Amino acid sequence: MKLFDKILKAYTYTVLALIYLPIVILIIFSFNESRSKVVFTGFTLENYYSLIGNYRVWDSFYNSIWTGAVVTVVSVVLAILMAYGVSRYEFSGKTLIDSIMLIPIIIPEIVEALTLLVFLVIIGIELSPYTVIIGHVAFDISFAYVVVKARMAGYDPQFEEAARTLGADEIRAFTKVTLPILAPGIAAAALIAFLESYDDFIKTFFTRPPGFMTLPVYIWNMASRRGFPLDLNALATFVVAISLIFAYIRNRIERRVY
Amino acid sequence: MNVADVIRRSRRLKLFIFIGIPMIYLLIFFFIPFLIALLYSLGMFKQVVYQYHFVPEPSLEYYVGLSKYPGIFKAIQRSFYYATLTTIGTLLISYPLAYYIGVKLEERYRDLAVLVVFTPFWINFLLRVYAMRFILHEAGMVNTILRLLGIITEPIRFLGTDVAVIVVMIYSYLIFMVLPLYGVLEKLNVELLEAAYTLGATPFRAFLKITLPLSIPGILAGSLLVFIPAVGEFVIPELVGGPNTTTLGTIIYSFFLRVRGVTGWGIGSAAGLIYIAMILVASYVYMRFVGGEVRLG
Repeated sequence: MKLFDKILKAYTYTVLALIYLPIVILIIFSFNESRSKVVFTGFTLENYYSLIGNYRVWDSFYNSIWTGAVVTVVSVVLAILMAYGVSRYEFSGKTLIDSIMLIPIIIPEIVEALTLLVFLVIIGIELSPYTVIIGHVAFDISFAYVVVKARMAGYDPQFEEAARTLGADEIRAFTKVTLPILAPGIAAAALIAFLESYDDFIKTFFTRPPGFMTLPVYIWNMASRRGFPLDLNALATFVVAISLIFAYIRNRIERRVY
Repeated sequence: MNVADVIRRSRRLKLFIFIGIPMIYLLIFFFIPFLIALLYSLGMFKQVVYQYHFVPEPSLEYYVGLSKYPGIFKAIQRSFYYATLTTIGTLLISYPLAYYIGVKLEERYRDLAVLVVFTPFWINFLLRVYAMRFILHEAGMVNTILRLLGIITEPIRFLGTDVAVIVVMIYSYLIFMVLPLYGVLEKLNVELLEAAYTLGATPFRAFLKITLPLSIPGILAGSLLVFIPAVGEFVIPELVGGPNTTTLGTIIYSFFLRVRGVTGWGIGSAAGLIYIAMILVASYVYMRFVGGEVRLG
């Protein structure tokens, strides 16, 4: 049994190392000077210089950030409304809501994306950054709802009732009592909603206007060429750094939530 | 009475604001598009100049067009083949990992271990797929190691083959299997196993009779989370595959974004809806087959 545990432990560490390996190699090759082969021939920072001077990368990054921010605000507000309504009111069909909210998470994104594109064109809405935002909100409401609702289920409505007894009306009780209690849950929901939007490729790719690029679309344009464009590796280093920051923030927020 | 008062007094209005607004959003921008795409795939929208007109005469023209597309049946078969192997692969790799973290590892290290597993999956999916090109290339790491070990003399060409697609799919989808498995294994009551040992069960038998049956909800959730998107995967076959790795996903992608036009979209929508129909049937059969009644999420 002891031996078995040791094997299991060694196996776990090996798998963890293998999960990280491709990313480490990606970063190592961002310092490679040869563009023709996947062999490391010499150290250079040239890929980084060409990345810094590439305004299209920064333009895409900016687009990812601002669309992600709008998507986050809209979907978190809608999710809070929904979670509050479900937790505080009785109405017919209430039990169905959680299942309905899971559908956008389960449906494969490529189908969501193509149906939305067909719909937008049929009703005559021209593709723009806002159609991308509309599409992201449609799945992000669900991600945000799941998190906010979990938080709302975990606290006692007596706090609100106490505020009501002391003379606060519902809106005041909501803004002064419910929202502050929910704050960590809302922060977690906002971060997840933002990351889902920031990282989204498929839905953006289908519903974007020509020429509008977010960071994942830019990455696709480079990666879908044959060969090894090494300034993409330099970009990868940057993206990895940002992701680690997000992972850190998320970890901090979740510690406060649970 | 001002607006705020009306809102305060009317329960119906409150319900409309809380539940109605988000639901209307989803209805318009999520559910109705499915209906429209269905009608579109049945040829019920005709384009006149720049406007679409509804024509209540369904036709199967686009579905017939799809069935005549060269290699379509092979591609569907291949999509299910990839998705099945990906599901089995992620399950076999994740189970011992999730078991170690959820059962064997000391409790105080578990959160950290989950964080360590999770972090790489925060990095953009496309970049992770691109990264695998460096590993699988003819001069890449796998070939180099095999050559140094003396197993091969000529490099093996992985990129463009089924092997590359499946390996990268397993790598990319791993986390969707690890998390649900960890979820059930972490809650496993170790005393049950101890009781089994006391009563004379071998570790293997205890595993078969206790641990495995208790992990079925996790296996089910993980399998569906991997299998459903894996069937429609198009990014991985496009980035590490080649002409022989056409899948349902790459077909939908090329009809929509390469062929384009009314016909391209019609056939693409037909393919998308067939995809949904097939995975609904497959998930249903799978759930009945493996575990009876199980709730997702």
